[in-house]
Amino acid sequence: MSDPLCTVVIDGRPVQVSPGMSVAAAMMSTGLRAWRTTRHGQAPRGLFCGIGACFDCLVMLNGEPNVRACLVTVEPGDAITTQGGATND
Amino acid sequence: MTELAAECDVLVIGAGAAGLSAAYEAAADGNRVVVIDANARPGGQYHRRGVKDPPYFPAGTTDAQRWANIATYMGWQAYAADLDGDLVVVRLRGDERHRNDLHAVSTRVLVVATGAVDRQLAIPGWQRPGVMAGGGAQSLIKGSGVLPGRRTLVTGTGPFLLAVTAAIVQAGGEVAAVIEANQPRRLIRHAAQLMPTGLMKSGEALKFAAILARHRIPYLTGHRVTEIHGAEDDAAVASAVVHRVDEQWRPIEGSARTFEVDCVTLGFGFTAQLDLLMQLDCEAVQSADGGLAVCVDDNQMTSVPRVLAAGETTGVGGVDLAAVEGRIAGIQACHLLRTDGQRTQPDSKVMTGLYRRRGHLRRFAKALALSFPTPTAWVAEQTGDTMVCRCEEVSLTTVLEARDDLGATDARAIKLLTRAGMGWCQGRMCSYTVEGLCPGPTSVASQKAAANRPIGVPIPLGAVAKQGRA
Amino acid sequence: MCAEVGRVTMPSGQNYDAIVIGAGVVGACCAHYLAEAGLCVGVVDRGSVAAGTTGAGEGNILVSDKEPGAELDLALLSQRLWTELIDVIGSACELEAKGGIAVGYDPSTFEHLQQFAAKQRDSGVIATEVTGGDLLALEPHLNPEVAGAIYYPQDMQTQPMLAAAHLIARGVRVGRITLHTNTDVVGIRQGDGGAVTGVETARETLWAPIVVNAAGTWGGQIAAMAGVEVPILPRRGFILVTEPLPTTVHRKVYSAQYVANVASDEASLQTAAVVEGTESGTILIGASRERVGFDRTRDWSIVSTLAAQALQLFPVLEKVALMRTYGGFRPYCPDHMPVIGPDARVPGLLHACGHEGAGVGLAAATGHVIAQSVMGQTTSIDLQPFAAERFGALHV
Repeated sequence: MSDPLCTVVIDGRPVQVSPGMSVAAAMMSTGLRAWRTTRHGQAPRGLFCGIGACFDCLVMLNGEPNVRACLVTVEPGDAITTQGGATND
Repeated sequence: MTELAAECDVLVIGAGAAGLSAAYEAAADGNRVVVIDANARPGGQYHRRGVKDPPYFPAGTTDAQRWANIATYMGWQAYAADLDGDLVVVRLRGDERHRNDLHAVSTRVLVVATGAVDRQLAIPGWQRPGVMAGGGAQSLIKGSGVLPGRRTLVTGTGPFLLAVTAAIVQAGGEVAAVIEANQPRRLIRHAAQLMPTGLMKSGEALKFAAILARHRIPYLTGHRVTEIHGAEDDAAVASAVVHRVDEQWRPIEGSARTFEVDCVTLGFGFTAQLDLLMQLDCEAVQSADGGLAVCVDDNQMTSVPRVLAAGETTGVGGVDLAAVEGRIAGIQACHLLRTDGQRTQPDSKVMTGLYRRRGHLRRFAKALALSFPTPTAWVAEQTGDTMVCRCEEVSLTTVLEARDDLGATDARAIKLLTRAGMGWCQGRMCSYTVEGLCPGPTSVASQKAAANRPIGVPIPLGAVAKQGRA
Repeated sequence: MCAEVGRVTMPSGQNYDAIVIGAGVVGACCAHYLAEAGLCVGVVDRGSVAAGTTGAGEGNILVSDKEPGAELDLALLSQRLWTELIDVIGSACELEAKGGIAVGYDPSTFEHLQQFAAKQRDSGVIATEVTGGDLLALEPHLNPEVAGAIYYPQDMQTQPMLAAAHLIARGVRVGRITLHTNTDVVGIRQGDGGAVTGVETARETLWAPIVVNAAGTWGGQIAAMAGVEVPILPRRGFILVTEPLPTTVHRKVYSAQYVANVASDEASLQTAAVVEGTESGTILIGASRERVGFDRTRDWSIVSTLAAQALQLFPVLEKVALMRTYGGFRPYCPDHMPVIGPDARVPGLLHACGHEGAGVGLAAATGHVIAQSVMGQTTSIDLQPFAAERFGALHV
């Protein structure tokens, strides 16, 4: 991709990603493969189906919890936060 | 968000091959067409990077010509569809950044082209980070240019495994092996049905063979992933165990091989996304691949007046078939609107050509489905910790207890007693597994019940409360 | 089939001491208590366990919503019996003694609630008035603007499908209950004087001198097979289910209007807020009641109204997502009383249905008195108000 990079913040860390990437892809491009934990087993989850059907890839985006990271395209300045436990934490 | 129309002539749900083909035909006839799609860009799963020059817009047309009379609302998701006299009311929710925006569109004709999602079966370790659907890996690469992992094992069944493999290596990734559960001799059994479309696709097949050869990727047929393991202090994928399997996919003792990989893709065919069609009570049948498909007549009409369906919803068959069905649906939509809903056969050479091409592609799709079946009896026999429902973290043991000790004789009862299918994804990932664990052959009624989700995508209470009250 | 000594063997089919029609929570309790009394019981259902209304229930075990009378007495007995059932089926049915809170938004509604509670106390209901800080201590996220509430510590919640399944499974394990699922009842066999001799299914005859009609919303159809009328009508209800959340609603919370609705004769829509959390983290929102036959068509205006009413009680749920809705048909008798006990018109036939939204709560006591009736004991509660004959002495 030849478009200029944009900066998003992942758990407080600024990261340069390509615009047009999904939030999930942006996180994976930094080596992150899991960004939330399950309610019962506290097990890590990240991308699974990749097209919005499985709801595994939920992440907090700009303060809103449970956003499907695979369906959202990054915007400059996005604050992405990993989620824990009962999904609204 | 964009100002949305409250009504239109044709509402198309899904901006993939089928949806766009239908939309173009309908709009070309002067109808007001609205297309909605959950993704940020049109093109569906096949054209993840947006639509440049797909085969379903007439050659030589410009972008402006194609999109005239078509209003596209990308990111919007339909969560409900209801009949209202002569109209269909479809309720939409804004994208993930605008979940509080709810909107309803009344349309005279509805075309449902909502595509499909990879079909899954529960395997020990499939819930680990680094395991993803083949389609998920593909959309990651095609849509965002990101690799799913450093070294990937591509597994499951069907020609789609090769498409996933190609996407990975063309993006510079490494595929450790392709693990195909079915045997190639099945293809030979259906060779006659695979022609003549098979010949047309042979170029594609040769391309895949060349990719496998050039990158020295082993293609193991009659093999299946039986366990996916993490590392000592990391739950994410570190290795996968593969066994040779018999025709029912049962592992053959002593044949285990381990692959050191950080990514495993899973895909056992596809499940059509039929929520809205089931809400509308459309008739459905079991497809050759064991999944549910909505019934349509020769002109893509469902059993519900004014509701058409095209693409994977009528039976999984790939992008070319979706495009043809979309065109037929679009033409039929025009006809319905011109003749005030009277169902008469459009009479033209174009239609004959489309019907014939659809017939060829459907036969091919059916032959492929029969060549790459997905048996399920082996699922119950797995001995490792197997998580059937990922959302609610329900184990195979719990499901079998409900079946064997608590009197659950169908998928609905298993759901009520174990919560499998009651989590965020409402059974989309686990229903095929659960159905496979139920006694007896799968009934259409049971599949329809599982596919009938009253709310297609989660909607905020506050936004719902603001809508019309009783 | 269980081993029994000294019983008459009929020519074909299976023999039981009693047959229970319906494997929902009421049928399961009946079967359980009959088995505990030493009987060999066959349970028959046209579907799976909990396939009917039990599968659509919230799991309410309430004393709070009943005015003094026979039904409240039954509810109090049932509440006690449910706590005993915990020892039988363990925590498998997720029984929670969480208590219920009836909320009055404005002072006059609160006053009505207080008067209602005073009458209930005379019957043995524990009811405490709670306002202000004390109320918020019980239910932290409740709308602080409400005038006041009554706290009912005896109210409980269970997972009704698990309760039904485990009660039956236990009986099966000890060899007392045999479960026939996916088995349609097509007739009731009767002998001399119309006395029950068994149940006809599509496949075979199940013989028994006692048949318990626990077919819920379809109880009228079963009764008709024995030639008697039991007018049970369906009263549709919808429940909204939210995404899973950390514990946000601690008790069962409902608005005062809920009590009035249950007793209402209105065929048209009656909605009032009922909100409760579950062990899985989802919040259930009800409650609507309409008499629209067996129509399952979803009505979005009802969904909007229920959502709005829930938000009035818990404004904090504004952005919480609704994941699904489901509907069910409560079995409804014209006089709002269930039908429980022996049918004087048909020897050997007992009814245990028509519990109209209180089936789960009343199931334990229903099963208990049914077993007492069958064993010839004096029932803990006078069953006269629940008698089937109140609908007419004549046969259909």
